Amino acid sequence: MISLLIFMPFLALLILNIPFKDITKKDAFWAVLALSALQAGISLFPNASFWDSASDVIGNFFKLNLAIDSLSIVLLFCIGTVTFITALVAKHFITDQKRLFNFTSLLLVILAGMNGIVMTRDIFSLYVFIEIAAIASFILIAMNKDIDAIEGAFKYLILSAIATTMMLSSIALILLMVGDTDLSVISYAMKTSERAPIIMAAIGLFICGLFIKGGLVPFHGWLPDAYSSASAPASVLLAGIVTKTVGIYTLMRIMISAFGFDNTVKTILMLVGTVSIVFGALAAIGQADFKRMLAYSSISQVGYIVLGLGCGTGLAIAGAAFHLFNHAMFKSLLFVNSASVELETKTRDMNKMTGFGQKMPVAAFTSAVATLSASGIPPLAGFWSKLIIVMALWAAGHYAYAAIAVLASVITLAYFLSMQRRVFFGKLSGELKDIRETAGGLVLSASILAAITIGAGVFFPFMLNVFILPIANMIGR
Amino acid sequence: MKETYIILAAVFVPVLGSFLLPLIGRFSTRIRNVASFLFVLTSFLCSLALVSSAMAGKAVVFSRQLPLGFNLSFTADGLAVFMACVSSSISAIIILYSFGYISHYENQNEYYFMVVLFLGAMMGLVFSSNLIPLYIFWEITAITSWRLIGFFREKTHVFRADKAFLVTVFGALAMLIGFISIYQQAGSFELSVIKEAFRTNPLPGMVVLLILIGILSKSATLPFHTWLPDAGVAPSPVTALLHAAVLVKIGVYVFARLFVATFALPELWHTVIPVIAGASALVSAAAALIETDIKRIIAYSTVSQIGFIFFGLAVGNEIGVIGAMLYILTHGLAKAGLFLSAGIIEQNTKTKDITKLGGLMGTMPVTAISFLFCAFSVMGVPPLGGFFSKYLVFSGAVNRGDLWIAGVFLLGAFLTIIYLFRLFNLVFLGKSAFPQAREGSLGMVSCVAALAVLSVLSGIFISYPAKVAGVSVQQMLGMIK
Repeated sequence: MISLLIFMPFLALLILNIPFKDITKKDAFWAVLALSALQAGISLFPNASFWDSASDVIGNFFKLNLAIDSLSIVLLFCIGTVTFITALVAKHFITDQKRLFNFTSLLLVILAGMNGIVMTRDIFSLYVFIEIAAIASFILIAMNKDIDAIEGAFKYLILSAIATTMMLSSIALILLMVGDTDLSVISYAMKTSERAPIIMAAIGLFICGLFIKGGLVPFHGWLPDAYSSASAPASVLLAGIVTKTVGIYTLMRIMISAFGFDNTVKTILMLVGTVSIVFGALAAIGQADFKRMLAYSSISQVGYIVLGLGCGTGLAIAGAAFHLFNHAMFKSLLFVNSASVELETKTRDMNKMTGFGQKMPVAAFTSAVATLSASGIPPLAGFWSKLIIVMALWAAGHYAYAAIAVLASVITLAYFLSMQRRVFFGKLSGELKDIRETAGGLVLSASILAAITIGAGVFFPFMLNVFILPIANMIGR
Repeated sequence: MKETYIILAAVFVPVLGSFLLPLIGRFSTRIRNVASFLFVLTSFLCSLALVSSAMAGKAVVFSRQLPLGFNLSFTADGLAVFMACVSSSISAIIILYSFGYISHYENQNEYYFMVVLFLGAMMGLVFSSNLIPLYIFWEITAITSWRLIGFFREKTHVFRADKAFLVTVFGALAMLIGFISIYQQAGSFELSVIKEAFRTNPLPGMVVLLILIGILSKSATLPFHTWLPDAGVAPSPVTALLHAAVLVKIGVYVFARLFVATFALPELWHTVIPVIAGASALVSAAAALIETDIKRIIAYSTVSQIGFIFFGLAVGNEIGVIGAMLYILTHGLAKAGLFLSAGIIEQNTKTKDITKLGGLMGTMPVTAISFLFCAFSVMGVPPLGGFFSKYLVFSGAVNRGDLWIAGVFLLGAFLTIIYLFRLFNLVFLGKSAFPQAREGSLGMVSCVAALAVLSVLSGIFISYPAKVAGVSVQQMLGMIK
């Protein structure tokens, strides 16, 4: 019954927006919470009959062409978890009931859109779901209605529009050449049709669009503005999962299911990935704004995912998927931490902060967990995904890429340590002596994400056997 | 098998127990202190219990197959047990000392959490016989030392903590590339498999270099040594832990584990490593001669002495390696004693500058005498422990014919005597600068005295540790099967 993952959020959205008297605006929040928790929960059981697409009555009735594989399950778990966290953070951050209702309604739209992206096997539906998620994201960023937020949303909108144009023309070309938009049909045509070069060019165009959507260097310009100007819950959602699903997962899906791994494309992906890793990390060092630093760090971490994908072997792609999972967890966690700090101090300038660890022990501990995971320090989850990517690169003979990927972790650690030093690890100074741990939702969400990060690292055999290695086996070699 | 549980207890009692300490500390500081001591003591007793089987030449093995060859394997052979005993015993004394030293600072829960986790990770590293858990425990020690060096939360302290973390992580990542390259050729991270795979073909020079970067950065040897003197800003028991018992010995231990017990080092490196170690020993001894901060002098002395240990290991013959192993023991005891004495001096006079100190002999007699004996051991004055280990390292080198390099180290040993006497002279002799300064608390002073006594005893009864070291070196060099 996988189509429920798309229909349920839409259904909830419809019911909540029908002006019944006895449905209060508050229910939207609980609806998001329940749906996302259910989704994350059920993703933990990849062998459940729920995932069997043959029994999906509604989906088959509408001929939705949905399917699930090991990669989708990992993504569905991340989407569920991050949406859940975002709702918790939003509840705490947005005090106005009407705006909270608007926010959570948009969250339902994005949830449905992202689930659609992950499950569909049709390039046109893929495009439609991407647009659903993207348009809801523009509104989320701009919701604050201050000048920064609107500027950030505008930049995102314009660059996304360019990406959209590229993707749509690519789909048109494909439809012309292949006569179908099903990914497996495209893949077959790539191998047999004599017009394969044109199809290849079309998919290349699609992939360029995805580079913009995923914020990879050199198309990253919109990303730091969008992340840092959005309100705290919106940036958790965007950085944690939306750009990863819209840009990076789609890239993985297109490569795996349609395009195949051509040597030129592999080289391009690995180059783009490596440049993103190094550039993002170097740019992050110089940032004083907490959220901008996290945004540049996202560019860098996404580089690892693309680098792993570009390697093209089963193990490398599995490592990339694992890193996508880890990134969703630790980056959301860091944005939650920045939200707690921002809520207390009303600023994001790290140079004005010091020694918050003494008053905010949970934020300090969880941010250290996220930091170390992002820097690939064992025994946290980020170590295993980076290790797998590097091992796969090494096995494929890409020694230089592997070495750069490993050593860039030092830069990652350097900027995160500078963040820790400025924000949490130090002595409390005069005017900020009275800050305290933000109660409730933020502490809970930080703890959940930290627990997942530690758990996935310490119990890595479970993680690898149940979720990650099936991806490697699916792709083969 | 029963003995496998002993290994697991030695590693996981402190590792898992450390996470309980902050919780216990919320209710009672006394129970927390006792618990942290008990966790470390458990490690020590478990390691001691493994001595007999290791001496009999049958290594206790625990192994659990995990995906992708990231197996959790522990082996308690002679080298591992010897190292575990040394680290856990010195750590136990340091924890006892901490009760007095740390009692009036903030963040005590974090302190005990990190110190016990640190020791637990050390135990894990020592017993690991798979490169992946070895690497994991290696990095856990880096995380804990980061928190511990920045314990006082001053701005410069946190900077130096970050520096130590970054330098050691850089080294570790270089080492990880080396490990992955080994995996590529041997098809396994398991040390026993790797040993077989490299029995015939030599290790590529690049891999040796990469792993060596990791080892040298962790053991604070030239050119990666600068973080260690800077780390002296940490609380004194932590510096003792870092410099004497655990952190710097990790690099030395991994060197012994990989380049003596697992691979045959290519011939060239038997010359290169002593040269690096010799340069490190001389440069840092010279630095110790001109420094005025008491903890920095002792820290440079550590860098210098680590050079001697590397020298013994790189010589690679039986006498040299036995000397190096005994050096780990005697240097650990004596250097911990020096740092803990420095801690008492620092707490009671509120200064670390030796030019301002003087005449403490009259007011702190026990500390002074203990300091002197520990210093004698580091200098290598017979019949203290330091003499025998230094002697064995030199005779190993002479046996191999490395006369020139042995000469360089002799100069280093000579400098050691000078800078330690200068230190003792300026701090304890002369006109009394702090007539009101008193001895440290009973607990702290008795820990220092215990270390001094152990330094003396380790010389007089050198035959016992030498026997364990002898057997483990024979196992390592493959003389007995």
